[in-house]
Amino acid sequence: MRIPILKLGNYLLISIQVELDDQTALLFQEDLLNKIHQEGSQGIVIDLTSVDMIDSYIAKVIGDVVEMSNLMGAKVVLTGIQPAVAITLVEMGVSLNGVQTALDLEQGLEKLQQELEG
Amino acid sequence: MHSSVVDFIYQNKDIYIKKWRSTLDELDLNIYHSSISNEIIEETKAEFIDLVFGTLYTGEGEVAARFRRFADRLIYYHIPLSEFIRSLQLLRRVIMHDLEEQSTKEQYDRYNVDLEDWLDENINKLVDEFSNARENTVNLQNTALKELSAPLIPVFDKICVMPLVGTVDTERAKQIMESLLDGIIQHRAQVVLIDITGVPVVDTMVAHHIIKASQAVQLVGAECILVGIRPEIAQTIVNLGIDLSKIITKSTLQKGVYTALQMTRREIITLDEQRSTEV
Repeated sequence: MRIPILKLGNYLLISIQVELDDQTALLFQEDLLNKIHQEGSQGIVIDLTSVDMIDSYIAKVIGDVVEMSNLMGAKVVLTGIQPAVAITLVEMGVSLNGVQTALDLEQGLEKLQQELEG
Repeated sequence: MHSSVVDFIYQNKDIYIKKWRSTLDELDLNIYHSSISNEIIEETKAEFIDLVFGTLYTGEGEVAARFRRFADRLIYYHIPLSEFIRSLQLLRRVIMHDLEEQSTKEQYDRYNVDLEDWLDENINKLVDEFSNARENTVNLQNTALKELSAPLIPVFDKICVMPLVGTVDTERAKQIMESLLDGIIQHRAQVVLIDITGVPVVDTMVAHHIIKASQAVQLVGAECILVGIRPEIAQTIVNLGIDLSKIITKSTLQKGVYTALQMTRREIITLDEQRSTEV
């Protein structure tokens, strides 16, 4: 199952709406990096509104994707992390350090715009 | 039932009530709370006498209900239970003394067992009802405490305040975290101020909960400012070696609000000044 990656101007939008298993997550990592390379995008929003569960491996993959994208010169904002997911992540000791987050897609895009301008 | 002794006590009821009444008067019910009026104490004593002798001839169900009412009364007026138990023991001594004089050895032995049964059952019921009523009160208080536990109050657009009052334990920390995160989503807050002015002690455990909460807040996409740090709390935090450097901290809620406004790129201006500069 491939996760669709949408291009919007300078940005890439990803809304994850399936349960992330290890395979899907790795495939997504590869797809996203290729897309960044191909489009030369500067900003990426990954929306997790419909994700109910994130285990430690998926959390690590997401952290890696963010770091890799930063290396390729694209800023990443994670949006719509559910309270339950946030609590699980904190309980597991995963803090996703240095990753930008926003409440929803709208605020995420705003945040990207601010960062790219400022 | 223990009919033989019941008959004996019932026949001499008035004498015992009188005798017992005088021992009850010696009880010092006011040692803990001098605020209870004498009237109430007298009333309570009368009810107790009525209750104990009532067990001789009333049915099981009614007795239980009366004990429950009496226990509620004790708790309501903060009257110590121990004095009443001691009074029952005194009553036993009085009755036994009389029995010894008035009956044969054989009768006395049988009466003795019956009497013990009767009084012990009364003590058991009293203690049971008392502790049940106590437990109920504690449960009610716990629920009440939970209800006023941790409200999230929106103060400006995108800015919310959560004032914490009282000790933060693991159970409460969990509730605080849930109410915090749900509130952020609901109010679309970008900055939340956690006010710990009302938290008496901040130890490593409390600090740990606060750090976790602020991490979770960041994950859902908001920022967390810790305000209301009193001098003694600052001292404890540093002395315990707790690292709060990842969290923005301010001494008062007011300063926190200013910082929050800055973070959402707004400020408070005085209208007059603005007008005068316009003119």
